[in-house]
Amino acid sequence: MDQTDSTEYIETGTTTVGLAGADGVVLAADRRASLGGRFVTNRTAQKVVPVGDHTALTFAGSVGEAQSFVRQLRAERSRYEHATDRSPSVETTATVAGDLLRSGPYQHLELVLGGTFPEPAVYQVGPGGGVMDTPYAASGSGMQLAYGRLEDAYEPDHSVDTLRGLATTAIRNATERDTASGDGMTVATLTVDEDGGGDEHDHEREFEQFEQFESIDAAVTTTTNRAGGESDTDAEPGVAT
Amino acid sequence: MDSSTTRQQAYDRGHTIFSPDGRLYQVEYAREAVERGSPSVGVVTDTGVVLAARKRLRSPLLESKSVEKIHRVDDHVAVATAGHAADARQLVETARKRCQRHRLRYAEPIPTETLAEAIADHIQEQTQAGGTRPYGAALLVAGVDAGRGRERKRRKESESGSGSGSGSNAAGQHPQPALYEVDPGGTHYGWRATAIGNGTADIRSFLEGRLADSDAEAGVGEDGLPLALESLAAGTSETETDTDTELSPETVDALVLTPDTVADRAGAVGEEELADGLGELE
Repeated sequence: MDQTDSTEYIETGTTTVGLAGADGVVLAADRRASLGGRFVTNRTAQKVVPVGDHTALTFAGSVGEAQSFVRQLRAERSRYEHATDRSPSVETTATVAGDLLRSGPYQHLELVLGGTFPEPAVYQVGPGGGVMDTPYAASGSGMQLAYGRLEDAYEPDHSVDTLRGLATTAIRNATERDTASGDGMTVATLTVDEDGGGDEHDHEREFEQFEQFESIDAAVTTTTNRAGGESDTDAEPGVAT
Repeated sequence: MDSSTTRQQAYDRGHTIFSPDGRLYQVEYAREAVERGSPSVGVVTDTGVVLAARKRLRSPLLESKSVEKIHRVDDHVAVATAGHAADARQLVETARKRCQRHRLRYAEPIPTETLAEAIADHIQEQTQAGGTRPYGAALLVAGVDAGRGRERKRRKESESGSGSGSGSNAAGQHPQPALYEVDPGGTHYGWRATAIGNGTADIRSFLEGRLADSDAEAGVGEDGLPLALESLAAGTSETETDTDTELSPETVDALVLTPDTVADRAGAVGEEELADGLGELE
């Protein structure tokens, strides 16, 4: 994570997570952008972005590279949609992302890519272009701390409501001790459309929610409360405050 | 040689040149080459696609197996050809590469229409670029797609219109058979059943008689092989150049693509099954 040879090179120490559940996918990341993890350059950076319907990714690494990469990936997806008249699957998107990272001009980007089409899935895409199918993943400088939380509580049959609480507490735990992660949080919730994929784009959009939180606590409180309301007997594993 | 003949020849020579009435003679000649080729038919069924083709054996000494009319280009796609065999093989090779490129790039089998369009694009280039001639072959591109995305949604809509509201959600992957014709001009058309090559008009009107009427949707059923063979017989009566005009397992090639044969990479119709199918035509 330390590559500061170029003066233009902005390293975002970061914590991001992605989790696949029974009815959808949750992606979350902190909002701190920093120079080498030592100076906070931005407190509202968005590191979870949509790349198309049903699909989004988190990134850790250089912001400039990530923005350029996401533009490229969106273009590739759009080309696929026009050429084949259908939506690319999460696996297809991950494969294209891996090839782009491997052959493109990107030095250091770690991605967690998730989506619900044709079913909920999370892929870890490494800086060398490695593409790995995984039920949950973390990336960035705080990933060890986040993984500690995920290893403890993740279950594949959890609903997205439960996974949202798990995702935010994993990020929270990382921000407590990783100085390069912090400030607010972005939480993306992609839910499987029960009708088997709605007929209108607007309709589908309802199943993609990108929430911005000004503080870590607000994110944790909001997401764990909601989970608790849905299934309080479940003894929700992430309500520690 | 009068002046009109000279002018006509000029349009003949370079296919990149339009005639005054807007025609591309070389492309039309290429279509003529296809018309002279032995016919291939394709029929979409409820569960898959059937391809059948007539092989022209110009001598009893010719090994029947060495005459190839139907080519598998990927697990889920096959191509039947008519016209110049050598040109057709080049297109088959192009198709195979295109299929693998899609798999490499997108980690999934290529949709049949995407492949047909890609082959059509390639053929079109040869009608416009300098120093080339059009392909003297037409193709029937048949495939069984995974059936998801927008196509899946469309079917969901029609299903929900006639019955229950919510079907199976995610991963309801209904296989979707498809059949496309690609001609020497570089256009591709989707068909429920069609033919290319010699006797196309007869075969097509036979298929139209069988399928275009009232209950067309239920016309073919699951087993399309009998209809494909019958249509082939309907078009082969007037092939004057053939020494052997009778349909036999030796002179017929057939392939059945269904979700099962896609999974097993099987589907080629064997001699016995062909003999049975042809016997039932009598």
